[in-house]
Amino acid sequence: MAKALLRLEDVEVRRGMGVVLSGRSLTVLGGQTVVLSGANGSGKTTLLEAAMGLLPLEKGCIHHGDVVVADHEGRRRPSPFVVGVVLQKNGMLGSETVSQHLQCSMAMAGFSTDIAPFLKAFNLTHRANDLVAHLSQGQARKIAVLAGLLPAFASPSPSLVLLDEPDAGLDDASVKTLGDWLEELRSSGHGLVIATHDDRIKQQATHLVDIEHDTVTPLENRENRAPQQHPSKAVPTQSAGSFGVKMHLRTMMWLNTNAMAGLLTLGILLSLGSFMNGLDRTQQLSFVLAPALAAGLCGEPLVAALREERAGEWWRAVSRKEPHGAWIPAVLGFVFTLMASVSLQNQLEPVVLLVGGLLCFVVWHGVGWVQRSTQRLARPQAVFVGLLTPVLILPYALIAGTLA
Amino acid sequence: MGETLLFLGFAGVGTTLLLAFLWVPSVSFNAFESPAAQRIFYWHVPAAWAAFIAFGALFVGSAGWLFKRSETMWRLHVAASEAGLATGLMTVWSGCVWGAAEWGTPWDWTDVRLNTFGLLTLLAAYLVLGRGSQPDGVESRDTFAAFGMYGFVLVPTTYIATWIWTIRHPPPLIASEDAGSIDLDMRLVLYLGAISFTTFIIGHMLSSMRLTALEQRLAAMQSTQDGGV
Repeated sequence: MAKALLRLEDVEVRRGMGVVLSGRSLTVLGGQTVVLSGANGSGKTTLLEAAMGLLPLEKGCIHHGDVVVADHEGRRRPSPFVVGVVLQKNGMLGSETVSQHLQCSMAMAGFSTDIAPFLKAFNLTHRANDLVAHLSQGQARKIAVLAGLLPAFASPSPSLVLLDEPDAGLDDASVKTLGDWLEELRSSGHGLVIATHDDRIKQQATHLVDIEHDTVTPLENRENRAPQQHPSKAVPTQSAGSFGVKMHLRTMMWLNTNAMAGLLTLGILLSLGSFMNGLDRTQQLSFVLAPALAAGLCGEPLVAALREERAGEWWRAVSRKEPHGAWIPAVLGFVFTLMASVSLQNQLEPVVLLVGGLLCFVVWHGVGWVQRSTQRLARPQAVFVGLLTPVLILPYALIAGTLA
Repeated sequence: MGETLLFLGFAGVGTTLLLAFLWVPSVSFNAFESPAAQRIFYWHVPAAWAAFIAFGALFVGSAGWLFKRSETMWRLHVAASEAGLATGLMTVWSGCVWGAAEWGTPWDWTDVRLNTFGLLTLLAAYLVLGRGSQPDGVESRDTFAAFGMYGFVLVPTTYIATWIWTIRHPPPLIASEDAGSIDLDMRLVLYLGAISFTTFIIGHMLSSMRLTALEQRLAAMQSTQDGGV
């Protein structure tokens, strides 16, 4: 018997003030395609997103193989399998190129395969180097679908593929191609869970789950078709940090938010003239470190950027991590402290420069953590996160005092 | 019950202020830069005491929601965050006025306890304003309850900080041996203030919890009218 890739045990999920799923259990084995059907609002997306580990559970737990990836006590573990994910939104940033996003989706699993045949089948070869932002809605959806399927095609071992209405917005020919790929993946021993209203995709099911009536109907045994060859190779795993740095450097969002705040602070200090001589050592250091602090207090600009098409949630579903600026704040803090030291004090102290870099790094990622903690809310941009940032004044004052 | 306590507390606070301004003896000119401003002490210290109670209740309410999913505990979280904001602002505002008169500066950035108390008040403002910006649901409740629990860490930090760092700010008086070192009349008014503020804040929280329950009942009725369950 094939291995259980996904097991939901007595799962209860709340959204808003209502219980959307209650007492749900589901097992998906390798070589099965489980299709979730039901009316809008019946809980298909909730079940899929719970299986991806995106939603907190009120009760029960979710296993990927033998590993509990999420439970009702809030524990989270990474999946032992390669996981391919398609959300209702496309889950990618407009600043990524098509080939970069597809390579990235596979690299997160540590494998890669040739994307050319897949792009050709979806008539997207000529778009391989375009930015995602330049695609039509239908083309972007095709890329999102490929990003969900390619990790499984590249994976040499059975993987889990979770697709939320992958057919939405696709033309007839693309839906047929998608159906063929789903069948190919199933025949290769991967486990698929698909939420759909499309009868052509439902035909790929080995098990049909009626969410409203909580019934599972096994369909007739399907013959495994001989899988096509998609040679794959191991590649270095794509980390959330390195992707975040790439996006920062490509979009210059660090300059637009953090660096501008630091520059403005430095500019205001310079406009005050030579006031430093009348200050004690602690006060002088506080002013020298102020631009680095201001740059850090703006937080992680990627948090807001990743709300585009739910890109942040796609990253969390696939890798349990979200992209971030990694070392960029340390460099920015170092440079700002260097500029402030030269222009305000006319002297350079290596320890102060390093502390400036560290201060910006800690504050940037600290504020980023607070920003991320509110992303689950219905209106995260309206939640007054800025009111919490003064908590960082205290370590700043202590650092200045200790250095002095 | 809540309204009665609110009224009694309000009357007690008013009496405390009257006694503080008209009856309590003045402090020595040698001990204080601004003896007149010292009378703010009878408002400032009991308000800080009440704020600690409110933030303690905020912790209990937040934990009760997160771990027990108790509607009553959520109402306590809502009431305590509002009470914490109100008493925190009373403490910070009165402290700034007193500090400006006594030290010549309304705020001392080097004083950890001032900063942590200010941050507690900002946290309460975040909870109150943030909750108002979101539709009610398990997502927003979980998020704000988690921050409410985090805020409680700042309560012992603030209290311990008042013992460790004594640059300008005097150490805590309520529930400490130092309270015995001040004049009997002054101590009497101080304790009247503390009891009044405690009564006031408990009354406020009970009334607020009742109000939240009524709001939830109204929302449930609206949902039924909309065709929900």
